[in-house]
Amino acid sequence: MKNKYIFSLLTGILLMASSCQKNKYLNPASTTSLPDFQAFDTPDRILSQVRGLYGTAKSGTFLGGRFSIYNDVRADNFINETNNAVTALQTWNFTVNNNAQETTGCWAQAYLAINNCNLFLEGMAGKGNTVAGATLAANYNAEAKFVRALCYYSLLQLYARPYWDGNGSKPGLPLRLTGNKNPGDYNLARSTVDDVYKQILKDLDEAETGLPLTYSSAVLNTTRAHRNTAIALKTRVYLSMGKYDKVITEANKIVSATAPFTATTGVNHALQADITTVFKTPYTTTESILSFPFLIGADVPGTQNQLGYYFGTANGSSVAGANGEFSLNAAGVIADPNWKATDKRRNFIYTATTGKKYLTKYAAGSPFTDYAPAIRYSEVLLNLAEALVRVNNTVDPQAVALLSAVRSRSDATTTYTVASFADATALINAILQERNIEFLAEGRRSPDLLRLGLTIPAKSTVPAIPSSDSRYIWPISANELLYNHLCVDN
Amino acid sequence: MRKLLAMLAAVLLFAGQLLAQKTITGKVTDDKGNPLPNASVIVKGTSTGTVTKSDGTYSLTVPAKARALVFSSVDMAPLEVVIGSETTISPSLKPVESVLAEVVMVGYGTQKRKEVTGNLSNVTGKAVAEKPVQSFEQAIAGRATGVQITVPNGVLNNPPVFRIRGTNSISLSSYPLIVVDGVPTFTGDVGSSNAAANALASINPNDIESIDIAKDAAASAIYGSRAANGVVFITTKKGKAGKAKVNYDGWVGFSQVYGFPDLLNAQQYVDIKNEGLKNAGTYNAATNYFALTTGPDGNPIDTKWKDVVYRKGVSSSNFVNVSGGNDATNYYFSVGYTSQQGIIRKNDFKRKSALFNIDSKPNKVINLGAKISYSGEDNLAAVTSGSLPGEGFNTAGLGRLAFVTAPDVSPYNSDGSYNINANNAIGVMSNKVAAVGFYNPQLILDLNRSNSFINHIQSNAYVQIKPVRWVTLKSAYGIDYLDIDNEIFQTGLHGDGFSVNGNASSNFNKLKRWVWDNTAQFDYVFAQKHTVSLLFGEEEQRTTQIGYGLNRQTLSDPFYTNIQGGFTTNNATGLANTENYLLSYFGRLNYNYAGKYFLTGVLRQDQYSAFGANNKKGNFWSASGSWDVSKETFWHLDRVINSLKIRGSYGTVGNSTLGNFDAFSFYGSGLYGGSPTFSFSQAGNSNLKWETSSKTDIGLSAGLFNDKITIDAAYYRNDYKDLILAVPYAPSSGLPNSIVQNIASLYNKGFEFSINADPVKRKDFTWNSSLNISTNQNKITKLASEAGINQITNTTSSLETTSITKVGYAIGTIFVTRTAGVDPATGRRIFINAAGRNVLFQLVPPAGQFQYMYEDGTKAPNVSLADAVPYKNTNPKLYGGWDNNFRYKDFELGMLWTFQAGFYVYYGSGAGLRDQRFWNNSTDVLRRWQKPGDVTDVPRIVNGDNVSNGSSFPLDINVYKGDFLKLKSLTLSYNLPKFILDKAHISSARIYVSGQNLAIITKYPGPDPEVSSNGTANNTQGVDRNGVANARVLTVGLNIGF
Repeated sequence: MKNKYIFSLLTGILLMASSCQKNKYLNPASTTSLPDFQAFDTPDRILSQVRGLYGTAKSGTFLGGRFSIYNDVRADNFINETNNAVTALQTWNFTVNNNAQETTGCWAQAYLAINNCNLFLEGMAGKGNTVAGATLAANYNAEAKFVRALCYYSLLQLYARPYWDGNGSKPGLPLRLTGNKNPGDYNLARSTVDDVYKQILKDLDEAETGLPLTYSSAVLNTTRAHRNTAIALKTRVYLSMGKYDKVITEANKIVSATAPFTATTGVNHALQADITTVFKTPYTTTESILSFPFLIGADVPGTQNQLGYYFGTANGSSVAGANGEFSLNAAGVIADPNWKATDKRRNFIYTATTGKKYLTKYAAGSPFTDYAPAIRYSEVLLNLAEALVRVNNTVDPQAVALLSAVRSRSDATTTYTVASFADATALINAILQERNIEFLAEGRRSPDLLRLGLTIPAKSTVPAIPSSDSRYIWPISANELLYNHLCVDN
Repeated sequence: MRKLLAMLAAVLLFAGQLLAQKTITGKVTDDKGNPLPNASVIVKGTSTGTVTKSDGTYSLTVPAKARALVFSSVDMAPLEVVIGSETTISPSLKPVESVLAEVVMVGYGTQKRKEVTGNLSNVTGKAVAEKPVQSFEQAIAGRATGVQITVPNGVLNNPPVFRIRGTNSISLSSYPLIVVDGVPTFTGDVGSSNAAANALASINPNDIESIDIAKDAAASAIYGSRAANGVVFITTKKGKAGKAKVNYDGWVGFSQVYGFPDLLNAQQYVDIKNEGLKNAGTYNAATNYFALTTGPDGNPIDTKWKDVVYRKGVSSSNFVNVSGGNDATNYYFSVGYTSQQGIIRKNDFKRKSALFNIDSKPNKVINLGAKISYSGEDNLAAVTSGSLPGEGFNTAGLGRLAFVTAPDVSPYNSDGSYNINANNAIGVMSNKVAAVGFYNPQLILDLNRSNSFINHIQSNAYVQIKPVRWVTLKSAYGIDYLDIDNEIFQTGLHGDGFSVNGNASSNFNKLKRWVWDNTAQFDYVFAQKHTVSLLFGEEEQRTTQIGYGLNRQTLSDPFYTNIQGGFTTNNATGLANTENYLLSYFGRLNYNYAGKYFLTGVLRQDQYSAFGANNKKGNFWSASGSWDVSKETFWHLDRVINSLKIRGSYGTVGNSTLGNFDAFSFYGSGLYGGSPTFSFSQAGNSNLKWETSSKTDIGLSAGLFNDKITIDAAYYRNDYKDLILAVPYAPSSGLPNSIVQNIASLYNKGFEFSINADPVKRKDFTWNSSLNISTNQNKITKLASEAGINQITNTTSSLETTSITKVGYAIGTIFVTRTAGVDPATGRRIFINAAGRNVLFQLVPPAGQFQYMYEDGTKAPNVSLADAVPYKNTNPKLYGGWDNNFRYKDFELGMLWTFQAGFYVYYGSGAGLRDQRFWNNSTDVLRRWQKPGDVTDVPRIVNGDNVSNGSSFPLDINVYKGDFLKLKSLTLSYNLPKFILDKAHISSARIYVSGQNLAIITKYPGPDPEVSSNGTANNTQGVDRNGVANARVLTVGLNIGF
């Protein structure tokens, strides 16, 4: 009888143990990918996700390379050399269609980053804020909003008509503000350009509030958004909208009233004496308000996405492994006689044995770990200068001082004074040309033309594209049109 | 009434016994005349009987009224002999496998063939043994109804397309579940090198006793969520009671390629290519031309690249087994070694295998046994053959290099060095053009390696207890451990390793599976007529996979040739760590009434780790029945139709070959400036579940003229729903992936018919012939209409969109742009664009004209893939085999014809063979258009034109009917006569000569319409793109039994 009890007990234990194991086996946990429900369990994971938000946007197909490349090569400063449809040929010669890798790839990557921000904000609201603690939570949420704003702003520059066209009433982007992770109905119409800009500004205003003034290191100050980053981006956004008074308001928060112009609160942004130091390791001077970092190893831009690969040339071992996809257009900005030979920015121009000129701003060579610049302090100065002239409609002395600061930093032989400019228009043109020189191959050229409705100049065999031309902006991704029935093409 | 008769008979027999007796003597032998000891001799309808002595003789006293004797022996078909007035009866018994196998595997047990209500095909082990194949499935083509086998090409150990009743899935595997001695094993190419490594090659075909193929729900439902593609039961050989038998089989084989296209020779190449340059307006006698080069022998170089890439392969196999046993214990042990050379240089297959099976029955209650099987395989290759899935457009692809490389250059320079240039291409020699080829195949064949080494252990043990006669309890535990060691080396001199200055990868992949099943079976006969067999079971199966590897780049020095050498860059590769687990409960009830009416019900519940959280459990079932009409008293057609069985089944089973973690949502790791990141990386689906297949099967089996002719016929319809698709969403949703969902539907239906007959059956001459024909119709009925997806296009090797899967069409329909011949006036290719208008193309338009023009001379939009239409079906609508065996005295001749019909193949290689870049062409281009009025199918030759003939986007001109009739195998063998055997003290000896793929009748212009450039993929069958051709093999063998 006793034995029977023992036997039953043993059997029971065995069965229970066995059933435990069965349950474990039936619900295995991946050891190589983190289950989504564990993503907000620890402060470290949340921080990793924050970096992941930037990391997704940084993809070589988007802000880490191609986005910038597209915006340069569709303008007038570069000539396509390799005739390769995979490396931006169609963007360069304005034959890009809905199916092109450019249109589909850039769109998808930007929205991947946006959805990550949305998922992150929701996850933080769920439990992340508690895990991270109030201070860090505010910081992180603000960063997510910053990245989301940057992504939406970037998309607008290629896929939507500029703000001036109908005052923002043209079709903008599908505005996604909630995180998606399940099967569902994802049809969504495009919001207007104005609506998207409103959301961008809302995010940036909130980011400005939540972001810290500084981080603990120069690397973090360059690669993650702090308060001044949000403000700097706002100067760009308002400039694109033609809201110049707002540009002034925002810029004044981070530009001192007199030279030398610096940011007096938060990260102490300032122009570097030698511009070439900005594009050299460690890439983290106070001039770089935001750059996307790369590192030899597994953190590289990926094949045919690298700035240095496109613009540099391996000719004469100038940039190792560079493919010389685009040479500098001899008739482009490098033809400007006022851009003097002694200007340090001409040091970025390399003349190959073929006689063709290439840009070597990104000279690290294979595997192309130059940081990809997103916002520099010189842009804020020039944004402010342009806004001052446009608001005051005079040869604004502070605008002249700002312009001169950027010019003379690289060209010690040139100092602008109010007398240098006949009228406001001359000053505006000088500022625009300064931008063209200063931000060559930094992705600012096409947005600068578009925000002002300027014709994209002809180059080589490619015709000029006036603002009325349908090719002035890109078509919408074919995949979007295929699977989002409410989305209309440009 | 029947009872009364039986009683009467019993009384009469009893009375007869009392009345008189007589003694019958004789000798029982097998069909070769060998005495059969221990054979049982029983008076029919009684328990009176005896067994034969060691010399096969017997003596039995029988009642005078006894009408017949029944002789039986292990592995022999029972034989009934009428006594009549004779007193000496010396029958010869035939082995079971030469008639219909008596017993079939049905999953967790066996059943008598006559009692099976499901639809199973059987292939004997004999059909796959002694063949120059690497795995058994390669040899079962044409041997069973409903089973379609397509050997993809001549790459050794490339898994064949193996379909049971059509293509059953869109995204998941359509490969049947393979159960080896009760343990489901791994299938597919498990290697990750350029050598194919079919996991099933670990089973030495010589060790296979029988292959039972479960096709309908009734036969397969016991495997529940894994049965949708059918189940194949492999039973390995076991020992037989009696004296130990030793058997040796060895063969030597010679293989060579067939069907290689006729190419231009060097002079023709130079002429055609120069004509192309002239037509393009770019010919320049000083700077841009093709020209012959004088070789070291003083003659112009004329290289047959086929001879560089292909070879005559020599193969051999040696196999020995020892088997035997007594009443209580039997054993089987075998070892085998085969070394096979493929038709591609350096493509080898070597296998060392051993198998040990033992079964013991120490007493009436306990029965136990075990199996240990080991196989070590070397799957060797130098570089990609361009023939495995995804390899079609590999620059190093040997299939293409053999026909694309210019014949007017040599693999070597005059000084004996390799002919290569600084651009990582073959040197142009005297040609004044940029390129005349991709890589130099000679160099990469000489210096590169891409190998997969496999160690495979399959083992199991069981114990069976029969506490009482009608109860059987069984517990079986099995393992299947598969280790794959991939080793790749690419020289930095030239080829794929050039850009990184030398490349080596080694990765190790370890698959481990254990299966434990416990069953209880109850067999009982109620009231003598109601036979009930009830099975309950529980099973667990767990599989884990661990993978890791190292990739090293940039050789420190060319001295190094392996991963252990000096390199400057190290990367991780082949990382994997995953698992799955299946927990199942099942039951089966068989009932038969008086051997006439049979009913079977099967129920299985599977809980599977890969199913989504909301669908962890699936229930599967089948119900079936059969009726032996000829056993009815009203049946009076015995003389013509001696047996007739009608059967039917219905049930639902599943396909659960989804990814282990597809259902889950994940965050993945990355880097941001070197610091770790987490980002949403996989959107899962917690509703994810198995694909469901509802199978209907209706059939009949009949025996005519005392089974001289047997016929099997069946109709099937399988409806598949909840098929998994990765449904893409608007990219603006920001989802990182297309989400897998159970959403699509398709069906397969068709007929199966087989007939087996003995047209001639004489003492010295017999002829057995069996023909089987199966039909299949496949149609997609739904994709993801919810998401607006009613068609999916698929590519061959990521580059060429060749196939479309569309609602209303068969899966994997060829997707091409249409053409309307060649314009006789201008030699331009005429395309038909999406709007149905003719568009003429010329690569280099004269002034005032355009590349693409309508017939009226106006400019037309470019024709492209966007003008493609679903064109032709790639699934054979009809397939089968015709097997003939002739025996004349000691000679035997076996002849297997296989055929497939009602399908089309896209001959993509044909597009390359007319490509007007530097590529060498087939001699077809000699009939090109040359002057106005020429009527031909080959357009004017213009250098650089890759559009007119289909290289740029696929065209209908390269789509051909694939129908074929193939002499798959022909074997002539001779059994040495007994007097010689006796002298040599051996019991049997047979020598044979055999040929594979000896003849093919087809209108297909490529090497072989039995081809698949995309392996076993569902959506992209019927594509022949840049692969190597197929092999013809001759073997000479010897089989000796001791």
